[in-house]
Parts: sequence; structure tokens; C-alpha cells
Amino acid sequence: MRSLVSKYLARHAYRTARIKGSTPVATYRQPRHRLSSSSSSSSFHDLFNPTQEHAQLRAMLRDFVQNEVEPQAMEFNRTETFNLPLMKQLGDLGLLGLTVPEEYGGSGMMGDATSVVMVHEELSASDPAFCLSYLAHSLLLTHNLSTNGSETQKLAYLPRACSGEIIGGMAMSEPGAGTDVLGMTTKAVVLQHQDAMNHQNSWTLSGRKMWITNGTIDNGQTTGDLFLVYARTGPERQDLTAFLVEKDMPGFELGQQIKDKLGMRASPTAELVLDNVSVPPQNVVGEINGATLCMMRNLEVERLGLAAMALGIARRSINVMKEYASQRQAFGSDLYKFGQVQQMITTSYAEYMAGRCYVYALANRLDLETYGNGLDADGTKLYCAQMAKTVADRSIQVLGGYGYVGDYAVERLWRDAKLLEIGGGTNESHHKNMARDLKAMPHEIE
Amino acid sequence: MKVLVGVKRVVDYAVKVRVQNKSVDLNNVKMSLNPFCEIAVEEAVRLKEGKHADEVVAMSIGPKQCTETLRTALAMGCDRAIHVTTDLRTDYMDLQPYAIAKIFEKVAEQEGTDLVLLGKQGIDSDCGQTGPMLAGFLGWPQVTFAANLEAKDGGIQVERETDAGTETINIPSLPAVVTCDLRLNEPRYATLPNIMKAKKKKVDTIAADSFGIDLEAHNEVLEVFEPPQRQEGIMVDDIDQLVDKLKNEAGVLA
Repeated sequence: MRSLVSKYLARHAYRTARIKGSTPVATYRQPRHRLSSSSSSSSFHDLFNPTQEHAQLRAMLRDFVQNEVEPQAMEFNRTETFNLPLMKQLGDLGLLGLTVPEEYGGSGMMGDATSVVMVHEELSASDPAFCLSYLAHSLLLTHNLSTNGSETQKLAYLPRACSGEIIGGMAMSEPGAGTDVLGMTTKAVVLQHQDAMNHQNSWTLSGRKMWITNGTIDNGQTTGDLFLVYARTGPERQDLTAFLVEKDMPGFELGQQIKDKLGMRASPTAELVLDNVSVPPQNVVGEINGATLCMMRNLEVERLGLAAMALGIARRSINVMKEYASQRQAFGSDLYKFGQVQQMITTSYAEYMAGRCYVYALANRLDLETYGNGLDADGTKLYCAQMAKTVADRSIQVLGGYGYVGDYAVERLWRDAKLLEIGGGTNESHHKNMARDLKAMPHEIE
Repeated sequence: MKVLVGVKRVVDYAVKVRVQNKSVDLNNVKMSLNPFCEIAVEEAVRLKEGKHADEVVAMSIGPKQCTETLRTALAMGCDRAIHVTTDLRTDYMDLQPYAIAKIFEKVAEQEGTDLVLLGKQGIDSDCGQTGPMLAGFLGWPQVTFAANLEAKDGGIQVERETDAGTETINIPSLPAVVTCDLRLNEPRYATLPNIMKAKKKKVDTIAADSFGIDLEAHNEVLEVFEPPQRQEGIMVDDIDQLVDKLKNEAGVLA
């Protein structure tokens, strides 16, 4: 009987609530439908789990990640394939439509950046690549559409996006336009004929989109299901409009699946080709020439999500090196006794906690339905991405040869961490934005 | 059918416990829902989903943090919860299975319960006594170590684990007490919408000392100690040396 118990315990963690909730911090803005707070004292626990429901969400995530995400991570990394069934499972848990109102099939956590951060942090402790695909679908497509789409568009697409029936992403970067995103050349032009029913115009999209996460979800056969595509619609640099482009629209093709990436190998990346794709007027998201603001707003939450992914990578890396250093014997003691190893573990922990506090301090007061938090959204990602890469690097160093091979996961985390310095904004784009915002600040830094 | 399901808050299975003052140190230790209770909750919720149970009530005995454990049960699908409050330790140090079963007896009677589902044991004390004692106090039929449970014509049919396989027991009519074993089911994850819904479900609070039950421990724990540290193995040169060591050091060969 005892062995049955241990077998159960070994393979099957169980779900429970964390011990405490929190005291609401008065200065934090309470967005609509925000999780309510309960009382407690432990300051770090409350910062990272501001309400009892947040604590329950984290407990569920830990359990799910340990049982379902961790066991598949190495294999999907090795084969460079996408785990679509696992993504659909996130739909069953209510995570794909985290920030989407219930009437569109979501979980109704509108504005709750803390939940968003938690999911990305926890998934990335096991599988950052899978999490990147989750981010592209849940934040860049689903959350974006939920924030900027019309009632009709939300009813038409969100229930399926929230359930995982359709999986897609967002198309902004181009082969020749990345950080200089307003330099994009994909064009949308008004078709000559008029839609007889409502006198609105149909559009024709032409161009190429690059580095599109979830650009293909069937390992390079066809495109993903649905994309929010930004295209140029006017003469000014900011004259961009967002369009919903669906799989199988004539002229919308998978250019290529981008293979041989350094990291994030379980997250499919593709080039998408738009060759005179006819897009009906009801697929225009927001105002004509008004997408730049929506794009920038969505980038804020994307950056926070990416910063949270860095936290998951760092935590896992620290746990791996701590555990290994305690076990491995050299020169008559375990590695943990050596000052050099202690320095790597402790410095990593302090940097991780600094990053984690920055991310949660921002997330807990951030209402995703507002914007203007660019400085710290950039700041969290700038700091945490580099921190995660450095911490994963130290973890490899502590493990030596064992860290350099796949079994301990840290080499994968190190490769994945590097993407966070490039994707969703390069370090240099954060420098650029933050330098601008800091200079424009009407007061001293508080 | 009204189902009452026991939900025990125990030290998390992954925690490396430390012994202090003749008992397991519970300070700043992560606590969780007992895994076997989680299986009981899952089974209760499935009975409800299968339209066999009308109401599933989760019950926990312990300090105020038990409400968190109960919220987990509610997020998994229980309808409401009863929290019997006490600051006595529930890991056999203070409150023991006899008193716990007595409290369950009172609540089952008050609630008009038809079926009590419990974990086969708590992973803290590993007693496995609460279910059988409760059935005895109530005078109800019981099945322990359930590996499968089906509602059948107003009763239940339960397959139970034995040392030599399983046996199937038919209880033609309720009430009954069933304790749940590992293979009974695989508990679900609480979905985010259900975590949010659980917030609104009712949790009644009753003080343990309000039942008029003797809560005193009748068994005294004399000592709790950590298992001895396992020594590193040694390499032997040949069979003769192995046999010699087995005879003269380990004393396992005559």
C-alpha cells in the first residue's frame, strides 16, 4: 500500500490552494472584474499572489505544468514540432481566453495582468517554447481582438479562439522591418467595387510577414487558423490598419516554416505570404489608419508576458543548479560548499527576485484595458530577459558538462532565453523607447 | 442522493518534513489537499455530473486555512462546504480519528447525507481509521479502498482493492461510507472559470467544540523521529567478501 502511495505521489501531484491571500494595496487601481482580495501578511506571497483566487490559479498551474507540460517539453524541442493538443487543453482550463469576457467564451479576467503574468511564468518554468505559442495566440491575437475588435468580430471569432478550436497569432514584422515596425511595406488597398449591402469597401492585402509565431500549426503544411495582420493603408508612416486574415483565404499562403532556430524550437515560426488577398470590410479591426495605437498597446502586454516567461526560466534554472550543487561531490565535499558556486546561486536568486518584484509590482497595478505603461513594460522585459539568460548560463556553468546536454533542461532554457532579448522587441528597441520616455518624463525619477 | 465528502488539509507530499519537539514541524510548511481526499472529491463530482447525486458537500476539520483547501474542492465542482474549525492539530497529534469520525457522524446526521466519501487515509498520519470508525458509529455499511464506484438502482456497486486483486461489493441501498483508493479516478484540474465561481459558493463554519464531542486524544504519541540517514553503499572485491559481510556485519546470513 505504501508503494502505491509513493507511486501516486511521484507521478501525480495534487492541486490545492496556497496558504494565504492578501491585503489589497490601496494605491493599486482595481480594474473591473478584478479578483477580490483577502487578508494576509506575508509580503512576498501577497505580491506574487495578490488574491486567494490568484493563489489557486498558481497552484493549478504548478500541478498542470508538472503533470502535462514538463513531460513533453524535451521531445517537442528535439523534434521541432508543435504540441497542438496540449494547446487545446489550455482552452479547456480557461487559459486561452484569460482576459476575454465570458460572453465571448473567455474566463472574464479582463484587465487582470497578474493572471497573465502567472500563466506565462508557470508555463515557462517547463516549456518556454510552448509558452511562446500560447502568448502569440492568447495575447497577440485573442486579447488584442477582445480589446480592439467590434462586437460582430468578437462574437464571430473569440469563442473558437478561447476554446482552442482555432489557433493563430499576429503578423507585424516583415523580412525588412522589425524594430523599425513603421517601416513595414505590406499594403492594403481599397478594391474598386463597392459592397452593395453596406457601401463599405473590400481590401486587397499584399506583402510578406516574417517571424510569425503559430504561422503554421501543422508543422509546415498550411498556415495557422487566424491572424491579426497589420498593413499600410495611407501615405503617413503611422497609417496602419489591422485586418483579420483567415486560413484558406485565396492568396494567403505559408511562405515557409522557419526551421533550425537556436531556441523556442517547439514553437512554430513561419513566413506568411499575402498575394492579393481579398479581405472583406467586416474583417477590418478598429479604425482605418488607426492601428498604430492598438499595436503599441498590445505590445505593452506582450512585453510583460515575455518578462514573465523570463521569470519561469530563471526560477527553473536556479532550482536546477541548487539541487545539482547539493548532490554533486568534488574535492571531498558537495559543490554547494564552494564559494564560486554559492556566488552563482545567490546572485542569481537576488536578480531573479528583483525581476520578479518588478514584474508583479507592474502587473498588480496594471489594467490591461488602459495603456501608457510602456516605460515599465519595456523595462521589465529588458531587465528580465537578460537576467534569465545570465541565470540559465550560470546554471549550465554549475552543472558543467551535464548542463551542456539536454537532460537537465538548462541548455534548452538558455537557448530559449536568448529569444526574449529579440522577440517582442529587441533589447535595443527597449533602450530606444525607454530613453525617449525617460527624457519626456516631466519630473525626476521617483 | 446527498454526498458528503471529506477534505483533509495535510503537509504537501513534496515537503521534506522536519521533526521538532516530538512532532512534525508545521511552521511555514506548504499544506495541501490530501491526495486521497482529492480522489474522493473527484468521485463525488462525477456522481453529480452523472445525475446520481443532487448535492455534494465538502467538509474539512482544522484551522482557518482549511477554507483554502475547501475552495479547491469547490473549484473542482462541490456545491458548498462546511468548515469545522479547531486549532487542534489534525495529524494525530491532537485530534485523532475517533473524534474526527464522531464529528463526521454528527454532520452526516444533520445533513441527511446518503453517501460519505472519504480518502482511504491521510498522508500525514496514514491511519486509515476515520472511514471504518464513522461507518461503525453510524451503523452504515462501508466499503474501503474503492477502485471503482457505480450508482446502481438506488444503491452503489463498489470494486475494492485487496491484496490479491479486487473484489466487487454491492450495497443495494444507501446510506453508506466509502473510502477512496488511488485507482478510483484521476482528479481534474480546477479550471479558471470554476476557480472564480467557487469564490461565490457557500462555506458554513461550525466550531468543533460546539458538537459536545470529546475531542481529547486518547492515544499518546511517545516519539516521532526521522528515518535514519541511508549510508552510502560499498564495493566488495569478491563473493567471499560479500558473504563474509552479509554474515558478520549485516547479520542476514547464518
